[in-house]
Amino acid sequence: MWLRRLATDRILRGRAAAPADLPLAIVGEIKNAHRLTALNDAAAALGLKVGTALADARAMYPGLAVEAADPAADRLLLGAIADWCDRFTPLVGLDPPDGIILDVTGCAHLFGGESDLCRDLMRRLAIQGFRSRVAVADTVGCASAVARYGTPAAVPSGGVREILLPLPLAALRIASDLVALLAEAGLRKIADVIALPRAPLAARFGAEFVRRLDQAFGREDEPITPRLPVPAYMAERRFADPIALEADVLGIIEHLGGELSRLLQARGEGARRLQVALFRADGKVHRIEVGTGEPVRDAARVRRLFAERLAAVGDACDPGFGFDVIRLSALATERLDPVQTGLARDSGEAELSHLVDRLSARFGERRVQRLIPQNTHIPELAVAAVPAQAKSARFESYAVEQDSLGPVRPIRLFEWPEAIEAIAAVPDGPPVRFRWRRVLHEVTAAEGPERIAMEWWRDDKGNALTRDYFRVESREGVRVWLYREGLYGREETQPRWFLHGLFA
Amino acid sequence: MFLSNHLKLLDHLKSADPARGTPLCALRLGVPVIDAALGGGLLFGALHELSPRAPMHFGAAAGFALALASLRQGSKQTLWIQQEFAATEAGALYGPGLDLIGLASERILILRVPRAEDALWAMEETLKCRAAVTVIAELRNGGPWTDLTATRRLALAARENGGLGFLLRHRSSAAPSPAATRWEIAAVSGARDRFGGLGPATFALTLVKNRRGPCARWLVLWNHHERVFSPALSLGVAAAAGDGSNPARPRRRAG
Repeated sequence: MWLRRLATDRILRGRAAAPADLPLAIVGEIKNAHRLTALNDAAAALGLKVGTALADARAMYPGLAVEAADPAADRLLLGAIADWCDRFTPLVGLDPPDGIILDVTGCAHLFGGESDLCRDLMRRLAIQGFRSRVAVADTVGCASAVARYGTPAAVPSGGVREILLPLPLAALRIASDLVALLAEAGLRKIADVIALPRAPLAARFGAEFVRRLDQAFGREDEPITPRLPVPAYMAERRFADPIALEADVLGIIEHLGGELSRLLQARGEGARRLQVALFRADGKVHRIEVGTGEPVRDAARVRRLFAERLAAVGDACDPGFGFDVIRLSALATERLDPVQTGLARDSGEAELSHLVDRLSARFGERRVQRLIPQNTHIPELAVAAVPAQAKSARFESYAVEQDSLGPVRPIRLFEWPEAIEAIAAVPDGPPVRFRWRRVLHEVTAAEGPERIAMEWWRDDKGNALTRDYFRVESREGVRVWLYREGLYGREETQPRWFLHGLFA
Repeated sequence: MFLSNHLKLLDHLKSADPARGTPLCALRLGVPVIDAALGGGLLFGALHELSPRAPMHFGAAAGFALALASLRQGSKQTLWIQQEFAATEAGALYGPGLDLIGLASERILILRVPRAEDALWAMEETLKCRAAVTVIAELRNGGPWTDLTATRRLALAARENGGLGFLLRHRSSAAPSPAATRWEIAAVSGARDRFGGLGPATFALTLVKNRRGPCARWLVLWNHHERVFSPALSLGVAAAAGDGSNPARPRRRAG
């Protein structure tokens, strides 16, 4: 697909009141001179060409409207159009600066044939304000050449050679100086080149030229790099009348879930990551993703997960005039063997896993956590909160020594230890009084010190001070975990005290 | 009736103790005096409220909640719902400490929610789910979203599915609530061990509201090795029975 006036169309789309025959040119700086980089149809009809200096163009036609070039905005727009083309096929690649390549192998029949697909695509783009030329062919090179230099049409299978022969050599996507070089040698059309021996061609004009020739004729493969990951399994539904109600959308999702589950069941797999793509009638696409902890195949569960997710992000998914295509795809799958269910009750594990999935869909994966111990002696790093849906390795149990009647680690740990004022009887000893959050506590019993030195091998700023931890109980019975930062004398002259955790 | 309903009924009948005439499905604390006052234990299918007597006793309240969660037999999971800001105010749950108080890390799931109404929604979802999960929701302060209508939905959800739900408040509130019991917890100076170190965790429990019996006050201590509560003697008695050394003087632990 070639969007022939992409730059000017981007500008003119936004201007509803522009007259249709306004000549518009886009100006960019090439080699320190202002030159025209793109024109619209009206400007081209006036006889202007790309590359003319701006001063000359203005002199010829004072009524010419001019805009500055913005290649970044053009690229974004091309990307947005490519995402919109996702409704036809998931294999969409960009052909910068103004082309898009779609692989429609096997899905053209859904649109009534290849020529109907071309016409439909051009019509939809024209409604949105883009002038385009679309061609379908066996190879990327041929399609691109026909779209730009031939009459846009669906090239029948095997007709690549006849179509390509009369086209000029510039249609092979080679650089313009190479085209000039070939013209000097008298080669202007593809038909001139096709019969020549390959080795001298490659030697004189470069291997790239021969490669492009091969790609156009299908002797060499040219894969498309799709913009979005292509899902393994997909089920979609198109509507003649766009739907907008959330209840309807969820019902369709459940139905598509049923289709997807049949596909997955045939392969013995379950989905771990699902995506629903909602294509609006006016071109915008909303994508919603949901992940699960265990592979899932059940359509009712899929519907519930998306119901939670829509409840969480619903405002962002504005249906506008309605959705006319809804597609459910499984982005990541895993093997799922059928399990023999018991006669009596459902397995609690499956229910728990589904609950975790629903909470993750509603609040986000990182908010539902499990605590996994880490191999470090530093207290705040000794445990990591891992998303409950992630499959992490089996963890080893802690190795914290315990030789007293009470637990040696607090049940709650402050992320940032709170500074307290404490007075100790002996510089190295536990505190006798401390003030925390403006309440004075008198210490009646203390255990410690437990000396925890920071990881000196990691610290490069020189502030890894050793901590002496004390478990203290105050007169009211409140038990806290305090530490003194810095060894008195060796590291610090005025060690500070912090409160790190609470005990039961 | 479905087979699953028959089996639920059988479960209920099995767990009832005909000798005491206790009701079906209650979590026994293990201290006979408290269980008798509660009419058998903390009732399943109901909400229970816990709050610290003063803000400084919040650690004890949280510890009591964890101890109750670990009393449930088997590998029942616990879901702890915490608002994100509460972690800054009162600390986040610490894995090694949970293991040491008796609740293994594999048995706990933590949910951090942005707002208080999300916490109640998640609690309701969990109580409605058929997986037997103990839910503990930590609520920072009362407000319009934790009033009677909101918590009544939770109580209904708990009753329909027989789940066990705890509301752990940071500040005790006297507002009416549909909870079956309401506790106020304070930490108490516990007994010392032989070397003068800190002994097992001791709680002063005040039962403020009880549907099935009287309100009273008890002292219990929690043995985290065996995961049982036992009645505690008050501190005066314990000190006299010690080895005569002054418990108020801080002792260094050997080694």
